[in-house]
Amino acid sequence: MSRKEFTQISRVARELEQCMKCGFCAYVCPVYQEEKTEASLARGKNELVKLLVSGELEINRELADRLYKCTGCMTCTTNCPARAEIPRIVVAARADIAGEMGMRFPYGLIYRQVLAKRGVMGLALAVASRLQGVLMPRTSGTLRHMPDFVSAFGKGRRIPSVARKFLRRQVPEVTPAAGRRTLRVGYFSGCMNEFVSPEIGRRTIGLLARRGVEVVFPRAQGCCGAAVFLGAGDFETARKMADRNAAAFEGLDYVVTDCATCACALTEYAHFLADTPEREEAYARFSGKVRHVASFLVDVLGAADFRAPALLDGKKVTWHDPCHLNRHLGVREQPRRILESLDGVRYVEMPEADRCCGMGGQFNLLHYELSMKIAKRKSESIEAADADIVVTACPGCQLQLADSASRLDKPQRVMSLMDVIE
Amino acid sequence: MLKPEIIHRLQEIVGKDDVLSAREDLATYSYDGTTNWTGTPEVVVLPRTTEQISEIMKLATRHHIAVTPRGAGTNISGGSVPTRGGIVLCTVKMNRVLDINKTNLTAMVEPGVVLQDFNNMLAKENLFYPPDPQSFLGCTMGGTIAENSGGPLCVKYGVTKHYVLGLEVVLPSGYVMKVGGSTVKNRTGYDLVPLFTGSEGTLGVITRITLRLIPRPAARRTLMAIFDDMTLAGAVVSSILGAGIVPAKIEFVDNFVIRRIEEKMKIGLPVDAKTMLLIDVDGSEAAVESEAERILELLKEGGARIARRAKDETEAALYWKARSAGFAAIYSAARTVIAEDVTVPRDRLSEYIQRLDEISRKSGFPIVLIGHAGDGNIHPSVSTDSTDKEDLERLEDTLTAIFEMALELGGTLSGEHGIGLEKKRLLSRALDPMAIDAMRKIKAIFDPDNIMNPDKIWENA
Repeated sequence: MSRKEFTQISRVARELEQCMKCGFCAYVCPVYQEEKTEASLARGKNELVKLLVSGELEINRELADRLYKCTGCMTCTTNCPARAEIPRIVVAARADIAGEMGMRFPYGLIYRQVLAKRGVMGLALAVASRLQGVLMPRTSGTLRHMPDFVSAFGKGRRIPSVARKFLRRQVPEVTPAAGRRTLRVGYFSGCMNEFVSPEIGRRTIGLLARRGVEVVFPRAQGCCGAAVFLGAGDFETARKMADRNAAAFEGLDYVVTDCATCACALTEYAHFLADTPEREEAYARFSGKVRHVASFLVDVLGAADFRAPALLDGKKVTWHDPCHLNRHLGVREQPRRILESLDGVRYVEMPEADRCCGMGGQFNLLHYELSMKIAKRKSESIEAADADIVVTACPGCQLQLADSASRLDKPQRVMSLMDVIE
Repeated sequence: MLKPEIIHRLQEIVGKDDVLSAREDLATYSYDGTTNWTGTPEVVVLPRTTEQISEIMKLATRHHIAVTPRGAGTNISGGSVPTRGGIVLCTVKMNRVLDINKTNLTAMVEPGVVLQDFNNMLAKENLFYPPDPQSFLGCTMGGTIAENSGGPLCVKYGVTKHYVLGLEVVLPSGYVMKVGGSTVKNRTGYDLVPLFTGSEGTLGVITRITLRLIPRPAARRTLMAIFDDMTLAGAVVSSILGAGIVPAKIEFVDNFVIRRIEEKMKIGLPVDAKTMLLIDVDGSEAAVESEAERILELLKEGGARIARRAKDETEAALYWKARSAGFAAIYSAARTVIAEDVTVPRDRLSEYIQRLDEISRKSGFPIVLIGHAGDGNIHPSVSTDSTDKEDLERLEDTLTAIFEMALELGGTLSGEHGIGLEKKRLLSRALDPMAIDAMRKIKAIFDPDNIMNPDKIWENA
């Protein structure tokens, strides 16, 4: 077969040579731990991409299936003696695959037509929320990242209710700081908080304002694009999203989000999506201002004192590290410091707190049973910690933990970090 | 190409999900931990029971299909690379620890158990299985038996073969043979256990393993020493052993590795130092204390610029982490890196180090030294960025020179990695021809059709 141009893979070509095939990733890869096949392992995926580049394999469904079987948790990289960033190679390969094959129905349609356009998405979800009670039992506290919302229908998942009133209709464009204004930040809501749990967004905005921060909620912001470029490899659509988000937050001191996945995706714009010097510059400037709220509160504001709402009084809480927050952004200690500072709440560390929950966005949709197997091990960790509440800071993890808790009939409640501090 | 009925029969034996035949799957079973050996199988099976393996072997024998057994494929000899297509038989799904016996001090495991998982289970029982190949995060027990693996702890505790009491092996005919038992003493006829231990998958498939365990040592100390002269460091190792002290580990890293570690980890090593020795002593609290003292004296007498003990577990862990990052540092430093595995008698270490330096200077290839000084197994890694054919041929010649030098010093071709494909061109020079002949005849007894991991160990096999 003729040598093809692999635009995105060629950008990480050096990285491809990093893997020395030692196979140590086997011990930590959550997917391999369940599957036990080489193609499920980082080392195997690296080899597949190398063979694609050398022309020994071609882009087809079989190859795509294997490269999509990665949650992107980055545990392999963290433990790799050569620090090979194979999950990034996988994302690049997905982009080249998507470029050639297009995206699998219905994802392509959803990403291009729904996600990229917030108005359409709002409308679709509004309709969905009306139909939800009719089509399936209304439950609470489960489902991922809106991007995958529509396609989740009909797969037997517990899906949370879509909010009656979206966040942008609940909060003003500018929330003034209480007292003297120290900073002026933009709040990036993410799809989950915009459409499903606007109360979290309200809490975050309120908390920031009470701490002397003026919070702007730019109406022009859209989806972060995580599912679109990190998940599906549709870089073209994601660039439109990135352009819009970067423009929407111009002139603000920081961009703060309470979604780990959004925070990660927003900081990855320059790495994956910059195809021109202008974009490189704009994305880098934008990404440099992005902070997850846990890091913003602790590192930027230097906050050390937090209060828990009354319903947490006397409760034992544990923390689940979202991969996007911990390994991707290096935010590990901050949420723990926040939880440990809560009066009347006991913090316990669970074993393997940083192990991937198995969500991985689209991964959960494509490989639901496998995703649930990975979640089961997380559930055992939670059980070992014997906590009343599992706290995390990623709507994706939150959905996964709640879904697996309900499947396995576990008593633990799953809450967002922003639910437990005031 | 295997006939569809073979694939179909394999699916009947192990179930559809545990037979892989898509090109995209086969490609991922074409390599091991080496850089350049590759070969693609025609089918991969992942059996879950001994009976299934027996059926697979019967099928392979009936149809003369080559079988390459493997675990996690972390070996660095080419030994688990399929050279003739055929079947890759991967045992990773047989991963139960069947028994840990605290009073007989034994354990029984299936071949797919990962060494680190096994260690974790033993630690809870305060038990210890010393063989510690540095691939412990990936390697499976079956693989470590087949490769007779060793690691840093082997100075004091020996290698895998010193711990294998009994094996269940499926022969190419499909016959399930048991050798050895579960007693420490066993003097019943020829001992076939060490024959299969280190057989590199050429005689049969290991399906069950009985291992000897020891109690976990109560105390441990880590010592660190810096030398400005590599040969002095080599001589100190001999003098420590000569003083009647056998530390658990004596590891050696050279200046190149020290600099790379310091670049990445910044733990405060002097980047001008020629050698760092890391030494662990373990045993009872009183014994480790006096041994640590004595070793520190010997290190200073032997010319160490710095010799000190790690002040706590954290500092010790940091040193050992640096040591384990050493290989990666070497591998990521050049396009082609070949880690040699020659081993020399421990009293010839400083001579060995000196002669390696001469070989490096003469050939112009950098030779980096890192490894197990305590057992004479310091791996010289030869590297080049060149892709020029002539340079690569000269590289081969350099490796041969290293090997010949080690042999001259009374050493051996491979300490712990095995022969596989990587070293077979040199085997005839390392062994007595009669010994090779005997080995080939043994191979023919168990594997008359030569289907069991063919092409490994011997040239023209």
